Amino acid sequence: MSWAFGAALALVLLAALVLVVSIVRPTSLGDRAVAFDALTSLITCGLLIAAAGTGDGLLLEVALVFGLLGFFGSVTVARFIERSGS
Amino acid sequence: MSAVLDGLSAVFAVVGALLTVVAAIGLLRLGDTRSRMHAATKPATLGVLSCAVAAVLQLDSLSDVSKVVVIVVVQFVTVPAGAHMLARAISRSSTDG
Repeated sequence: MSWAFGAALALVLLAALVLVVSIVRPTSLGDRAVAFDALTSLITCGLLIAAAGTGDGLLLEVALVFGLLGFFGSVTVARFIERSGS
Repeated sequence: MSAVLDGLSAVFAVVGALLTVVAAIGLLRLGDTRSRMHAATKPATLGVLSCAVAAVLQLDSLSDVSKVVVIVVVQFVTVPAGAHMLARAISRSSTDG
């Protein structure tokens, strides 16, 4: 059954590449912040799928820390946008 | 029974991955920032929940399962708060919204 987790991870990787494209694309700062926010939750998704595929509990702690860091990152960017304009 | 649980777990993992792909397509294709935010916050809750169910069905120790529960609770609290702050900042600072 591990091929299904591999396929799921490949789909998440594809989505992450698309999100990186939409971060690098020249749009407004708010659009990039939204794409960054989506990218962090997507990496949490990928870490959970990897934990399901390998049965490794250490990946769960990485996912927890990564989710919190993504939240702090998007709050910081939101404060910055609010203060300086897009 | 174990094979059934493995199959269910794989189905949940693939559903979560497909939700992330849908969000990425939405971020590329939709027009303005609010529509993109609408597309981007779907995998942040439903996709993470689906992947977490997949992980819970595969992991067997209680400490790992409780870590997954903590991840889901933290994600469900922080993602709406972060998206709300981003939306407020964008709508206060930009002219297109």
